[in-house]
Amino acid sequence: MKKALPYILLAPMMVIMGVLVFYPVIATFSYSLKKWKLTMPGDIRFIWFDNYRSVFKSSSFWYSLQNTIVILLVVVVLTTIMGMLLSMFLNVETKVSGVMLAIAVLPWALPPYVNGVLWKFIFHPGYGFLNKLFISLHLITQPVEWLSSRWLLLLAVSLVVTWRSIPFMALVCLAGRKALPESLYEAARIDGASKAQIFRRITLPLILPFAGIGIMSTSITAINVFDEIVALSGMSDLGKNIVLESYLTTFSFLDFGKGSAITYLVLLLAAIFGVFYLKTLNKEVQY
Amino acid sequence: MRKKWYKIMAASLSVVLLSSLVVGCGNKQKKAESESKEITVMIPEWGAPDDELLDQFKEETGIDVTVNEVSWDDIRDKIAIAASGGSAVADVVEVDWSWVGEFHAADWLEPLQFEKEEIEDMPTIETFTIDGDILAVPYANDFRLSYYNKEQYKKAGIETEPQTWDEVFEQAKLLKEKGVSEYPFAMALNAEESAATTLMWLAYTMNGVVFNEDGTLNEASVLSALEYQDKLIKEGLIDPADKSSSGMDAYRRILSGNAAFLTGPTSFVARSNDKEQCSVVGQIQPILVPGKDGKAQHTMPLPEAIGVTKFSKNKEAAETFVKWYTSKEIQKELFKRNSTIPTHNTVLKELIDSQEMVQTGDMLEEAKRIASPFPNGVPSYYAEMSHAIYNAVNKMATGALSPKEAFDEMNKVVTELAGNK
Repeated sequence: MKKALPYILLAPMMVIMGVLVFYPVIATFSYSLKKWKLTMPGDIRFIWFDNYRSVFKSSSFWYSLQNTIVILLVVVVLTTIMGMLLSMFLNVETKVSGVMLAIAVLPWALPPYVNGVLWKFIFHPGYGFLNKLFISLHLITQPVEWLSSRWLLLLAVSLVVTWRSIPFMALVCLAGRKALPESLYEAARIDGASKAQIFRRITLPLILPFAGIGIMSTSITAINVFDEIVALSGMSDLGKNIVLESYLTTFSFLDFGKGSAITYLVLLLAAIFGVFYLKTLNKEVQY
Repeated sequence: MRKKWYKIMAASLSVVLLSSLVVGCGNKQKKAESESKEITVMIPEWGAPDDELLDQFKEETGIDVTVNEVSWDDIRDKIAIAASGGSAVADVVEVDWSWVGEFHAADWLEPLQFEKEEIEDMPTIETFTIDGDILAVPYANDFRLSYYNKEQYKKAGIETEPQTWDEVFEQAKLLKEKGVSEYPFAMALNAEESAATTLMWLAYTMNGVVFNEDGTLNEASVLSALEYQDKLIKEGLIDPADKSSSGMDAYRRILSGNAAFLTGPTSFVARSNDKEQCSVVGQIQPILVPGKDGKAQHTMPLPEAIGVTKFSKNKEAAETFVKWYTSKEIQKELFKRNSTIPTHNTVLKELIDSQEMVQTGDMLEEAKRIASPFPNGVPSYYAEMSHAIYNAVNKMATGALSPKEAFDEMNKVVTELAGNK
């Protein structure tokens, strides 16, 4: 009984993990090795890696991968810079610090689709806030069609995802900053270090592991963007990433075999960042 | 002693949790297997019957109906996911005209038996009939009808309604030149389903053909429709916002007086007379869709239907509901309650004659011209085809492709799909 108890206690979690994580992962892989289109129920068969070959040959996949990488780069760079800056502001103790923190966290709490719809109104070419603002500032004379060109659309999507991701990055960096002992700063000030030197030599290296966690989480968010793209540009090819490509193939075109292969490739891409994430957690810092 | 007691409690809780999972699943299975006079209906909000109607149905048949209102674009996904696992998401489900080909290919719908007289009175049922089998029955009528703003046309000095697409173009130019309307033509150009159907009905009404017998695109017809759209865009007759707004937002421009001409859904007959939705009530006239040398001989139907899922365990009761819900009496009720346009032509005529439906213009005449542009029915690869078409149209609208390049791009996909069917 004593030996069995840990297993009995772990059993519910093992069942839940098995049903909700391991089974879908294994089942999706087995689907990806099959020709399985729902509109061809009489032609379901094992085709090994043909779906993967077909995905790699498809220009649509490479196009969506390019879009994924562009979104990933813009989101990670902007989120890291803005999140760290915001954490520095939030670290300043004032009477309204609590309120400021609550406001800063708000975008993170918004459902992604609502976030996208909100920004769609801002980017709308006709009555959008951004065009109205730029016209009133005489920066443009004609409304800009923000969502009609590939690069502008990707920039818009990246900005929307960045807006949602900044609070998490800021919170993680703020937690890191709060954990730093005040004695380090005191010693640096006694040694005559300037504010810039303190930031560069103490704050930055010590909060980097925390920022690393934020960067990895943001990267996975940026790879898995779906709601914001759908809210801004629907199922258009223009701004689609690999997650949207996977959704279209699986649920719109009902090709479960090929769709599962794309899903697996998305999973692998996210897993690469996951490994970095775990390594960052165990990293020692020199300062 | 206390420690031991905690361990026993924890172990017992784990066992209870596990067994409740097993028992829970077992009960559900048992319940689903039992025959009952209860059915479930999955339908979008606008098509859902109210409680009063459902009570009436229960009184007449003894069948209890549970309505599951789900947004239109989620229904297809839910049906597909459930069907891939061999189960029914509901006994009766919404079937859009564009889904019927793939639902048929996937064998998800149960054929229904209908009287010949009923079929003849419902031209849109043709869309849902494949190989002689009626797979779903339309409950909401929609076909393409044209609308123009009489007052704005008069202001621009145009006294007659447009007969041909060339006239529509010339008149739109005049409306713009005279400053009556900056963007007179409302057209769906965003990369979504409505842009694909727009190209289809334009080619169909312009040239009478969209697809060849083998399912490929008819180059002459589709290319001329694309060139026409391109001409309207380049002349600045279509609002640039139409390229990224939803199709419905583009159509609604006629209701705010921002556009003077629209070919769009039949629901705009009611919308254009509703002061809450329309700021130019009384100015919008529904007319027959223009064609090449006169009014178009045919118009494209885009109806909504309901069908019985193959995996339903209450097929008989479900079919009874479908027949009742699409009957003439209920069609009249649905018009009164939800402004749903009837699919029975006799009901449509009756409502127009009795003045219950007003300002209908040429709607009834257009209803007689309904014909499907798909020579072999809606294909099983419609979703993939439509995706290729609306993306190419949108790329042309944004200037990324010429009409010929847009045609080549969509044609490559459609030809491949038609070859692999």
